[in-house]
Amino acid sequence: MEFSIDADMQRRIEEARELGEKEFRPAGLEADRNAAPLPVGHPFFDRCIERGEGRTRWAGLNPPSASSAPTRSVVGTLLVMEELAYWDRGIINAMPGPGLPEQSVISMGTDEQKEKYLGPFLKPDRPRWACFGMTEPGAGSDAAALTTNAKKDGDGWILNGAKCFIGSASRSDWLLVQATVDPAKGRAGQRAFFVEQGTEGLGGFKIEKKMGLKSYESTSFTLDNVRVSAAHQLGAGGRTEKKAGFKTAMQTFNAGRPVMAAQSVGMARSVLDEAISFAKLHDLTKKDRVRDRIEGISRRVRKARMMSLRAGWLADQQRANIIEASMSKALGAQIAQESASFALELLGTIGGAGNHIIEKLYRDVKAMDIVEGTGQIQRMLIARSLVGLPR
Amino acid sequence: MNFELGDDLELVVETARKLAESELTPRLRESEATRAVSEELLSSWEEIGLADLEVPEAAGGAGLGAVARVLVNEELAAGDAGAALALDPYGPALTTILEVAGQEAASKFVASLSTRPARALLIMSEDAQVDLASDRISIDAPWVTADRADAIVVLHGDEAILLREGFTFEHVRGAGLRAAGASRLTASSAPIAARWSNPEGASRAKSRARLYYASLLIGVMRAACEFSAAYSQEREAFGKPIGHHQALAFLIAEMRIAVDAARLLVHEAAWRVDAGLPSAAPASSAWAECIDVSRTVGPNAVQILGGHGFMADYPVEKFMREARALGLLCGGFDAAIEEAGRDLVDSAFPLSLTTHGAN
Repeated sequence: MEFSIDADMQRRIEEARELGEKEFRPAGLEADRNAAPLPVGHPFFDRCIERGEGRTRWAGLNPPSASSAPTRSVVGTLLVMEELAYWDRGIINAMPGPGLPEQSVISMGTDEQKEKYLGPFLKPDRPRWACFGMTEPGAGSDAAALTTNAKKDGDGWILNGAKCFIGSASRSDWLLVQATVDPAKGRAGQRAFFVEQGTEGLGGFKIEKKMGLKSYESTSFTLDNVRVSAAHQLGAGGRTEKKAGFKTAMQTFNAGRPVMAAQSVGMARSVLDEAISFAKLHDLTKKDRVRDRIEGISRRVRKARMMSLRAGWLADQQRANIIEASMSKALGAQIAQESASFALELLGTIGGAGNHIIEKLYRDVKAMDIVEGTGQIQRMLIARSLVGLPR
Repeated sequence: MNFELGDDLELVVETARKLAESELTPRLRESEATRAVSEELLSSWEEIGLADLEVPEAAGGAGLGAVARVLVNEELAAGDAGAALALDPYGPALTTILEVAGQEAASKFVASLSTRPARALLIMSEDAQVDLASDRISIDAPWVTADRADAIVVLHGDEAILLREGFTFEHVRGAGLRAAGASRLTASSAPIAARWSNPEGASRAKSRARLYYASLLIGVMRAACEFSAAYSQEREAFGKPIGHHQALAFLIAEMRIAVDAARLLVHEAAWRVDAGLPSAAPASSAWAECIDVSRTVGPNAVQILGGHGFMADYPVEKFMREARALGLLCGGFDAAIEEAGRDLVDSAFPLSLTTHGAN
């Protein structure tokens, strides 16, 4: 048992802290004030590209050397994500790059698809985005219920349907759209299709107004008889087999949920630091009730962090962590929300005025119990393991 | 960052778990009724060699630290927390002498406890009224988890005070943990056999005592969770196992989350103790967290069994009582959050990570 981090990790966290403080925090506050995502041409994104961000993890079809990209531990990612979310959680999602669909393309895409869709992200000339369109107005947690459909049309496909809450959709070069080819089969009847921006029938983009996390766009759009070729279907040939392999890995260990937990921890830490600063400024630290509240927040944040790190560490060992990952996600989101709520109480009507960062965090953090599997979905997954809750 | 126990500790844990399953759980009502563990149990305990866990190697013990202790205590308490206390001859009395007075004094202390089974008791001044004169001490402790002791160590401020005589036990019913005994302990101007002062050592001793009881609490809560979760899969209502109704399924998930998270805080604090890092606030915080979650975990386990849970035919009512009783020790919740919060606003604890080495 050993809970320290090494000097290299400490350095990575410090780099994240610098980036967060200098870039993420002001960008996030600006977007929140304007109640709109940072526009595509914002200099923030140009600086991202200058720093070498917004690139794909895919090494290219003929990588120069086998060891080009260092493999980084999940635990390391968690600690960096925690730090970045401390400064602004929304900006993490606003970052240019191939984003959510990247892993699916790497795992299941054909070489041609990787070249075509990830190639431009190898060394992007300008900020570029891609997105994954799964959620629909009538299908969120129950993804098997989605109704966007793909019908065979000669060699290609015709897509019809509507998507919502899709991150960066209006600015994406291409959208990977999940659609059903056979609704009777649920998830098994679904396929993913690349739809390039500008394709006829793709439209109706509407950037939603949100309570928080305003710095990235959550967008709805429609697919109205969108025609795509057979080559636009993710995977094609050996798809099923590869996908099965991918799914098996996903069911054994999960790194996404611990990341959400770590981001929740980062936001809660931000709340805690702000609460302590406020208490000092207003000479409240001698009051037992105030101190007890701060103690409660810090204790809960520490336990949430330990839960996230344990789930990430298990993933690093390639060990089953499904229950630990779900527990960390459920707990982290809940604690971050509670922390922000407690801290707002500390501020009283100063918080009520609506221009303190704790008030922003209170609005931002609610999303953490909704994205990447709601708290209820996590509890269902946990209960499946603990008491065999039927599907 | 490594959550692995390592082979040696795995073995220790496995040994404790087997004993708890085969010896403690089956006799938990018997031990409670007789306010003692049986002779056979004592001898099998002595055979497996866990009794000397923290005894310095120089004195023939295993010389293990806080991590080993919290792991063993959880396993034993998952069987019977009262029996766990009854089986440990030295308890946190030993680690208090170890931290405040050092290895040599601890070895002497162990050697001085020649009766079999030995029983040394730690009293924290938070849990009793203590009046101290230069060579005499008066104590009134309304509840200690013992019916007798060969020696008493009082942890009072920066001091550890050893008593070998002049104290009396008056049996009380006890809210729980009766397998270890339950008494009011009084001493009236009892002679002090030895006393040591060491502010840093006393602080570490307090951390270790809190982690000792925290890990017992984790064990009790784990047992409560596991028992009620298993029951929820067998008992049917409205046409399906009660655990398949989301109201209970989610409750069971919450209980597991709460106990897992509290355990990680206990492990992290114990690791700090063994690594020689500042541990007072982390240990208080871990202890507070265990108490905090025990307030819901114990009663919820009873709730899952409904009317059956209220009856002594099932162990969950015992888990509920004993989880609550454990949380009253070491100053309880208020003292724990007082200490955890004391320098919170001025120090980097609790959210800074410890950096170690450079590789």
